[in-house]
Amino acid sequence: MDKLLRKKSNIILFLAPAFILFTAVLIVPIGTAFYYSLCDYKISETPKFVFLKNYITMFTSDADMKTAFKNSIFFMIFSCVTQLIFGLVLAALLTNIKRGRDFFKNVYYLPCVLSSAALGLLWYFIFHPKYGINKIMENLGLLNKASEGKQWLADTSGFIILPIVVISFVALWQYVGQSMMLYMAQISGISKDIYEAAAIDGCSKTQSFFRITLPLIKPMVATAMSLNAIGSLKFFDLIFSMLPESMRGVGGKAHVLATVIYDQGLRYSKYGYACSVGMVLLAMCLLVTFLINKFVKTESYDM
Amino acid sequence: MNVEFDNSVVDKNRAQHKAVQVAIYVLLSILVLVYILPLLWIVMSAMKPNSDFKSTPWALPHDFSSLMDNFVFAWTKGHLGRATLNSFIVATVTLIISLVVGSMAAFAIARLRFKLSKLVLTYFMIGMMIPIHCVLFSLYTQFASWKLTNTLAGLIIPYVAFSLPITIYIMTGFFESIPNELFEAAVIDGCSVPRLFVTVGLPLAKTGFMVTGLMSFVNNWNELLFALVFISDDELKTLPVSLTKFVGPHSTNYTQMFAGIVIAVIPTIIVYSIFANQIVEGLTAGAVKG
Repeated sequence: MDKLLRKKSNIILFLAPAFILFTAVLIVPIGTAFYYSLCDYKISETPKFVFLKNYITMFTSDADMKTAFKNSIFFMIFSCVTQLIFGLVLAALLTNIKRGRDFFKNVYYLPCVLSSAALGLLWYFIFHPKYGINKIMENLGLLNKASEGKQWLADTSGFIILPIVVISFVALWQYVGQSMMLYMAQISGISKDIYEAAAIDGCSKTQSFFRITLPLIKPMVATAMSLNAIGSLKFFDLIFSMLPESMRGVGGKAHVLATVIYDQGLRYSKYGYACSVGMVLLAMCLLVTFLINKFVKTESYDM
Repeated sequence: MNVEFDNSVVDKNRAQHKAVQVAIYVLLSILVLVYILPLLWIVMSAMKPNSDFKSTPWALPHDFSSLMDNFVFAWTKGHLGRATLNSFIVATVTLIISLVVGSMAAFAIARLRFKLSKLVLTYFMIGMMIPIHCVLFSLYTQFASWKLTNTLAGLIIPYVAFSLPITIYIMTGFFESIPNELFEAAVIDGCSVPRLFVTVGLPLAKTGFMVTGLMSFVNNWNELLFALVFISDDELKTLPVSLTKFVGPHSTNYTQMFAGIVIAVIPTIIVYSIFANQIVEGLTAGAVKG
């Protein structure tokens, strides 16, 4: 048995396809992307090595990148904080009810599996100046005319512009189910004995949530937070489908890192520059994951 | 301490408990509306002529003869029929290849004996931390030189590669949980390793297949960025891309777009409502174990 399972030819046969595909399509392109990020590389030209020029431009003179950094970091912080709070609250509420838990859970999780592009268009109309929320407010008598209401997706004033805030709420709506599920999975793994022992000692439900549940799901907080952080740094679909080109194009105030990559690569065919933005995105994702796991993750308990 | 006093405390606690439960249900139900109403609004609006939508966007459709007009338009003239077919081909082929290739690797990691198995698993896991955006244009230029851009195969290959880490991760867990005795018995009967994989491993990891398969299908059905960059031919565009193009800046017929949105989400809603528990389990399984 042992000999058979140790046979080199079998191991290679089973591992090779996945290994080759994964390496050729994900790992090697990261290497080439890193090389291109050090080059001037436009369409139908050969890459010309310019060392750090792209990175220097990106950090010093590119206004779009400045906006993108600002917005992406806002998205990241917003989603980490709100998803943590709402995800935990939902998980705590759902684990405390007896009937219909699966129903609520499945409804809240539903948008996570739907196309962001389609949902983005849907929310675009909800926040349409004439037809969505503003129309409801008009019908309720809160506004004289729908078109006089807030320009939810077109207002460009302020440090973080309104459309970005609106979209980050839509993202919360779409993805909070994910965090909720992760926390629920962890909470349902906590032994009932601990809660019973605490109840006998006179611990209230609220107390047991803060004193037992929270400390015991801390490792999951780290996992969910890293997922949120990476997800929001590479955020693209909702911005792309909810905002017109003028907002996420050149000089647009709604740029995020992924839309800059898209713009630079597809619209201007500046592949080198697009790759260097991609490298910064990669570095940020790795850094954030590292930091979260370092500061949030503590020792895991046996449950 | 007398008995009556105790009872009143218990009653009070019970009443309080009940009130809290009711409050929780009310809160959860309001939230259900926040999730369902926007979807219902779009379905409802998609059944109306555009002029009706513009005048009374929140009213129910009243012209019952034209309920399906927008859907027909979106499906045929809006190229969404073609796009649905493309998405279906891409998502299904990706699913099959990534399941076969991924479960083979997972089987090797979980069951075959070699020193580096942990390291190989870690290597694949790196893929889960990498934002695929950073390889977008290096892959694009590479694929362009191989004439793979503007083909469905050019989308399927990266999708398979991106689906591998999570597939391998979950399937490794499933293969590890199969009792060793089953494999031993088969080996004593003279089973070769490939047959061991097909006759013992695969049937027992069925749930794993289901879970990872659904996940990969849903993810690739919805993928936008790569599809947007890699495909420029209208005939080959996938559903999310066609949808964003179909809407376009110049289109003013909103209700036709709504029909498009409905067409794009219906398949996933159907798949989800049949397999909700498995999908949820699968999408969380990876993260929970890590």
